[in-house]
Amino acid sequence: MKAGKKAHVERYGSVRLSHGSGGKLTLELITEVFAATFGSEPLKELTDAAILENPGGRLAFTTDSHAIKPLFFPGGDIGRLAVAGTVNDLAVVGAKPLYLSAAFLLEEGFPLEDLVRIAESMKATADEAGVAIVCGDTKVLERGKGDGVFINTAGVGFIPPGRDLGPHRVAPGDVVLVNGTLGDHGIAVLSQREGFELTLALRSDVAPLNSLVEAVLAAAPGTKFLRDITRGGLAAVANELVLGKPFGIRIFDHQIPLHPDVVEYSEMLGIDPLLAANEGKVLVVVPKEEAEAALEAMRRHPLGKQAAIIGDIVRKPQGLAVVETAYGTRRILEMPVEELLPRIC
Amino acid sequence: MSYDPEVYKDPKLVLALKERIAEVARELGRPVKIMHICGTHEHEIGRYGLRDLLPESVELLAGPGCPVCVCDAEYIDRAIQLALTPGVILASFGDMLAVPGGIPLRDGRPGDVRMSLLDAKARGGDVRAVYSVFDAARLARENPDKEVVFFSVGFETTVVAVAALLKRGAPGNFSLLEANYYTPPATSMLPTLEGFDVQGFLLPGHAAAITGLKIYEHLPRLGIACASAGFEPVDVLSGVLSVLLQLKEGKPRLENTYRRVIPYEGNTLALKELFEVFELVPQRWRGIGVIPDSGFRLREAYRGYSAEERFKEVFARPLPRSEREHPKGCRCAEVTLGLVRPSECPVFGKLCTPDNPYGPCMVSHEGTCRAWYTYGMDRGRIEVEV
Repeated sequence: MKAGKKAHVERYGSVRLSHGSGGKLTLELITEVFAATFGSEPLKELTDAAILENPGGRLAFTTDSHAIKPLFFPGGDIGRLAVAGTVNDLAVVGAKPLYLSAAFLLEEGFPLEDLVRIAESMKATADEAGVAIVCGDTKVLERGKGDGVFINTAGVGFIPPGRDLGPHRVAPGDVVLVNGTLGDHGIAVLSQREGFELTLALRSDVAPLNSLVEAVLAAAPGTKFLRDITRGGLAAVANELVLGKPFGIRIFDHQIPLHPDVVEYSEMLGIDPLLAANEGKVLVVVPKEEAEAALEAMRRHPLGKQAAIIGDIVRKPQGLAVVETAYGTRRILEMPVEELLPRIC
Repeated sequence: MSYDPEVYKDPKLVLALKERIAEVARELGRPVKIMHICGTHEHEIGRYGLRDLLPESVELLAGPGCPVCVCDAEYIDRAIQLALTPGVILASFGDMLAVPGGIPLRDGRPGDVRMSLLDAKARGGDVRAVYSVFDAARLARENPDKEVVFFSVGFETTVVAVAALLKRGAPGNFSLLEANYYTPPATSMLPTLEGFDVQGFLLPGHAAAITGLKIYEHLPRLGIACASAGFEPVDVLSGVLSVLLQLKEGKPRLENTYRRVIPYEGNTLALKELFEVFELVPQRWRGIGVIPDSGFRLREAYRGYSAEERFKEVFARPLPRSEREHPKGCRCAEVTLGLVRPSECPVFGKLCTPDNPYGPCMVSHEGTCRAWYTYGMDRGRIEVEV
């Protein structure tokens, strides 16, 4: 019997319940598809747990589950999302991401060809980020009980000595930056949903940000706070940063970089791009004197060409996110309260 | 005509208009209240903080401009009843789903809680969100063994699409719960209200693009200065300036400051189809009461598409409902008429928030309370200390 990804796809076509039974098909799926694609040593050995080198220092540990519709969208897919999402969660606490796990919940009948594409995309993204996928799990859900595939990734990284990032360091006068256009992912995905199916030049921004973060930390060692901007958009991150704190955040809306498709499409649908999702954007808070250095470092990086200074930390109003327009008028940037994309029904 | 939306956001133009408005308001020398009648206006005013640009003597009020807010609670209750009827798919605009109707609900939430379509869905009702009437018709084609009812809420701007669909033929298992409102009679009624103290109207740009402006010609004769206005900052401020200039000259008129979109005679083709399919009947506006000729009803030739007709037996046994139009404590009725500001409502921001709306004006993005809450308009000018 031939082995390998292609052979596995040809042999079974789509995911069967026995792929999750723990028996022959499970073993074949793991060795022929996942281990063959991800190629890490611990995974190839098929032990119950991955045994890993400890580089020393404090560990950062995170987990994230991913469900998205459609699974493949302009600029990415659920595999790239699952790797980048966890890498970014590690990067923004100042950790250097090293190891990931990958757990799959597959729906019976899901085409194996698509699963291979997703696994290959995960591997490519992991390589881009310099991390290894070292352990995993597979379960199969009965047809109709899942949305094709759900992926959970957990990740471990280590924090170099001396790094201290967090909201406790943020103070009035600090400067707020982002590494590029906001809302690209949310609008790109929405444009593919039923009822729209638009052809836009816009691509999701999904990308691992760890090398960009390292570049910022090298150029602006006084960096105080980082947070990847994901669901809920800038509005959620800005509000989380100031909630219950003795300071506020002011965003200059005319300084926020926006892709022309995002401007047009969000206007058309009445969506605020500040609430739209991102998967390759980070909010950075630095002391004023390091703002230019941080900006330059981001702009030199391929994922930060359109980086911009978008706001500052203010004494008052406390605990609120305020948007200031080009006219000098102001409004509140509210914490998002509902799913921006019409998913409820 | 070229249309670059950025021009209508241009800070130089906006700040020049701000100066001019301040100047004219000073020359006028008395306080002025200007009302707009469109939820989108309130939304854009909040988003761009446009009230910050007006002098103290000029107040911009929100009138009845949100179809979701004025939709009679009884229609919502009927939609709920249909959603809970086996074999029926109730298709609705997303904005309507969380609006409380008149059916009391005891589910542990505080206050006089009423059932919404979302509550009906949670109780097994088949409720689907659609973007347009065409999506609802598609749903009917895809589900030939079900009855698909489109909850047709909206002003003339929305009803033209319904008329267009019915003119061209809709599936036999498709029908319409008619909850449509014609705005001009409501606008005309406002100046007759007791305590109504408004000197100018910003007429709704979207609606006027359909209806045209002729129907508003009588308003200046009542002493009200009128300007039809678009939705970008330059549009809104141009409308305000037009009203102030008219008042300063003492000659209220009807000015079209949104010419790139509104033809004076309206969209004659759309109007023709609209009134071939629908006729005007008296309509109950939530919190306002019945206004003559302000509702759209399917004409005889199209009555077959009416859910009222098709589901007569269902509606013959209505669910028990509260007599009170709005929940206890909610001041949506006065907010809708521009008689009180949302911040004057005792439940605003407390019992009533966007994640747990108590009254209809907090649900829709077009609702005044929702816009005020979202953009913090109840705070007035937000001061920043660096």
